[in-house]
Amino acid sequence: MRRLSWLMGWRLLRRELKSGELTVLALALLVAVAAMSSVAFFADRIDSALTQQASQLLAADLVVNSRAPADPAWQQRAQAQGLRQVPTATFPSMVFAREQAVLANLKAVASGYPLRGEVQIRTRQGVKQGVYSPAPGELWADARLLQKMGLQLGDSVRLGSRSFVLAAKVLREPDGAVDVFNFIPRVLLNHADLAATGLVQDGSRIRYRLLLAGDAAQVKSYRDWLAPQLKPGTRLEDIEEARPEVRSALERARRFLGLTAILSVTLSAAAVALAVRRYLARHWQSVAVLRALGQTAPEVATVWGSLFLWLGLLAGVLGALAGYGVQALLVYLARQWLGDGLPPPGWLAWLTGPLSALILLAGFALPPLLALRRVPAMAVLRADVPAGSRSLLAPLLALVALLGLTAWQIGDGPLALWLLSGLGGFLAAVGLLAWGIVVLLRRVPLSGAVGWRHGAANLARRPWLAVIQIAALSVSLLALLTLTVVRDDLIGAWQRSLPPDAPDSFLINLQPPQRAELVQAFAKVGRSAPEALPMTRARLTEINGKPVKAADYTDERAQRLVEREFNLSWRDAANPRNQIVSGQWWQPGSKTPQFSLEEGLAETLRLKQGDTLTFDIAGTRWQAPVTSLRKVAWDSFQPNFFVIAPSGWMGDQAASYIASYRAPDAGFNNRLVAALPNVTVVDISAIVREVRAVIDRLALAIEAMFALTLAAGVLVLWAAMAATRDERLYDVALLRALGASRRQVRSVLLAELAWLGGVAGLMAGGGAMVLGALVAVQLFNLPLALNLWLLPLGMLAGGSVVALAAWPLLRRVTHTPPSEVLRAN
Amino acid sequence: MTSSSVNSAILRAQAVTRQVNYHGQQLAILHDASLDVAAGESVAIVGASGSGKSTLLAILAGLDAASSGEVWLAGQPLSGLDEDGRALLRREQVGFVFQNFQLMPQFTALENVMLPLELAGRADARPAAAAMLQRVGLGHRLDHYPRHLSGGEQQRVALARAFVLRPALLFADEPTGNLDPATGQQIIELLFELNAEAGTALVLVTHDTTLAARCAAVYRLTAGVLARGEA
Repeated sequence: MRRLSWLMGWRLLRRELKSGELTVLALALLVAVAAMSSVAFFADRIDSALTQQASQLLAADLVVNSRAPADPAWQQRAQAQGLRQVPTATFPSMVFAREQAVLANLKAVASGYPLRGEVQIRTRQGVKQGVYSPAPGELWADARLLQKMGLQLGDSVRLGSRSFVLAAKVLREPDGAVDVFNFIPRVLLNHADLAATGLVQDGSRIRYRLLLAGDAAQVKSYRDWLAPQLKPGTRLEDIEEARPEVRSALERARRFLGLTAILSVTLSAAAVALAVRRYLARHWQSVAVLRALGQTAPEVATVWGSLFLWLGLLAGVLGALAGYGVQALLVYLARQWLGDGLPPPGWLAWLTGPLSALILLAGFALPPLLALRRVPAMAVLRADVPAGSRSLLAPLLALVALLGLTAWQIGDGPLALWLLSGLGGFLAAVGLLAWGIVVLLRRVPLSGAVGWRHGAANLARRPWLAVIQIAALSVSLLALLTLTVVRDDLIGAWQRSLPPDAPDSFLINLQPPQRAELVQAFAKVGRSAPEALPMTRARLTEINGKPVKAADYTDERAQRLVEREFNLSWRDAANPRNQIVSGQWWQPGSKTPQFSLEEGLAETLRLKQGDTLTFDIAGTRWQAPVTSLRKVAWDSFQPNFFVIAPSGWMGDQAASYIASYRAPDAGFNNRLVAALPNVTVVDISAIVREVRAVIDRLALAIEAMFALTLAAGVLVLWAAMAATRDERLYDVALLRALGASRRQVRSVLLAELAWLGGVAGLMAGGGAMVLGALVAVQLFNLPLALNLWLLPLGMLAGGSVVALAAWPLLRRVTHTPPSEVLRAN
Repeated sequence: MTSSSVNSAILRAQAVTRQVNYHGQQLAILHDASLDVAAGESVAIVGASGSGKSTLLAILAGLDAASSGEVWLAGQPLSGLDEDGRALLRREQVGFVFQNFQLMPQFTALENVMLPLELAGRADARPAAAAMLQRVGLGHRLDHYPRHLSGGEQQRVALARAFVLRPALLFADEPTGNLDPATGQQIIELLFELNAEAGTALVLVTHDTTLAARCAAVYRLTAGVLARGEA
């Protein structure tokens, strides 16, 4: 008998798929599964690529990363333990060729590089791959530099005060930054040439990395020996933390995709819930027949349970295939950052699809399915609709299912909880408002055309259904509006936050005697020189006389701030762009030891006005109380500092200088750097342009996911329409039988749908408005701005989307002969 | 009541009462209804709309439970069975014909008739069902879905489904209620033919006294009170 029930489920599935009874449900599942799978595939492939390539990415098994060249004792020890080692140094500097200057990331490597992985270069002799490093006097550059400067192999290139021959184009460099946000060209030179360039100076931002490799036991014993001796500012990198910028960029992308997927899944879940509800409502009569013919309740449940199980598996498999396609598109769009060599997804990723379909069905179809067991055989005689399930099991199960899916997808439980509570809050608010409006529609006598009155009355007649429909519609419209209008708003606002006359160049590493030359350079073009601000690297060692340790803080940023050196400056007068939020700025000429702190730093490190801080600057202790806190506009493109001291007290400390300005003419920066070779000029206009380009390309890759979300939104609309189709058919047949014209019937229906869409659109507009404002304030630090246009836009979009989505239904409803409908009922 | 008298009747109802709670008030739909149907006998229950005919039918067929009193179906007291137990009993002993046909819309005519056979675990469900459809004159419409059949044809399928297992007892609820007089007449003829062939006891609920007169016994239901009337 069990077997029969299963077979019957399969037979039903085939029939109902063909007849279209299950179309909405099947599509909703398909979209949900495709969204989940595509993210699972994408994440899985990137994870395994990162794991596989971790060693290569590091170019070593272990790296000692420090601000000073590695201690000779460490190198001796490494040699004694049989480890291979290669010292490297990286820093940003200007590259000169063909009378141009371009900022590049320089990396000096000794021979033997790389210890793990291979470099791939193109020389005049062709492509070479293996363990290679530039010979002394040679320089290798990547495609970005060659392109930017129009260089050919064999050209002469200058770094600081030494000339090099451009010997090779770097095609792949194991530990090169392939960060999505890294667009600065890269250059490799031999370690032995570093000194001759004259680029290594006090205050230069050089990172020394000692690459080490050996067998696992050797590496571990060396690591255990070295780790306890490391001072702040020096750290060990191993394959676990290889390429954190890549990891975090892809992690961000994955989260973002995960969130989009969750939105699709949530919408699909709403469509599944509506579709299951309608499907079972249309079938309880069949259940009653089977019961009358002698099927027991468990057998009946097995028939439909197996139908849903078959459906889930089918949608799971097809959805996984569709997801694979979407993911392939994502990888294709992102190929310039990911490369072509992504490993294929593992079998677990293939399970995601079918599993999420089954979880969705368990959450949303199981409760009404279990309620089928309660359909009385008696129902064959009397067409009473069985009472719907009033238990909390359904929403609870659905919530658990969604939460599980979300947390699994973005690998972040708290974030999933946040997202779902946000969504839940929105739905609750929408539900309440919709209920209020429906009640109002029922109470308030409406005047006007018959269509409008009847439309409103129709809506008010089925209040719960109207509320459910409005809620489902609102969520999909919210998604629509957020994905289109709010996104554009945010990008526009961000662009506007940069004034047209904002500085487009930063100059760093200016040495004190060079300040006069800077003034001269500006004088030559008839401009006054920008203010050059002193800057030195300082490390916070004590707070109120007690040594500071990273372990004192749980906050990651705080730990980083304590471990690393950060920039400290001094000045006399307050910076007018900084707002003093607590305490007072010192008197001009003050020699009193004291510090002014940026308020965000104070908050992160739990510091307050009156605390005494001790900084270590190049081995000297500087101790003073905090006398003021400042608010700093970080996106002003002006030099800003966490900590400032009075010039009268600290002014004699060695420092390099920083300035920002708007370049007077196109060649100015190049001339300036030619005159002051050790100075680094950062052209931010290019950065802003490139950041924008990167965001555009990332956005393109994510459009594919948006398309899925939109598809899910449309499905919800469809499901919501279909949910009431039978009732509407019957209502219309009655109206027609009573003599209403087709036109009148259409206007009644259109009016009802316009009310429905308008109310839902209004809610969605409000939601998108709040969401946009929250994102602007919380994520982009933009001023709070409510786009009130979203409200009428939402209403308009809601009304027209619903009317459009319902058009086929309207046609069917008005073209079906009334007799057919009335007879069927 | 002797056990032999219970056994000789395929259906026996004793003092069956059905009450419902309506806004806190107990409302009696059936009072003390009793009847006997012998194997192979045909019995009509007539009454006006709202007299409680459907409720009585549901209780007799085990589709619903009585508030008090007892019903024996094929010798089994229904009060001792739960809903699933009654389902198993129906599966073995009972066939149904409904006013609104109640065919499974997702299944073809053949599959609808196969259903009781499959539920009974019969291996020959398909040929047996096809033969039965042939018998009711629908041999050429085996693979048609209910929505593609006329009312009369749908009721023929329902008859085929009801009789295919040759049940001991058949309940027919206004079988011609949704049909025009000519088609209704054909269906009635077919119903009685099949009934005679299968030797099935028939309980026919109708408000049509002419139709009722064709049965061996007639019970009249008036405002929930059942009385044996003139045949």
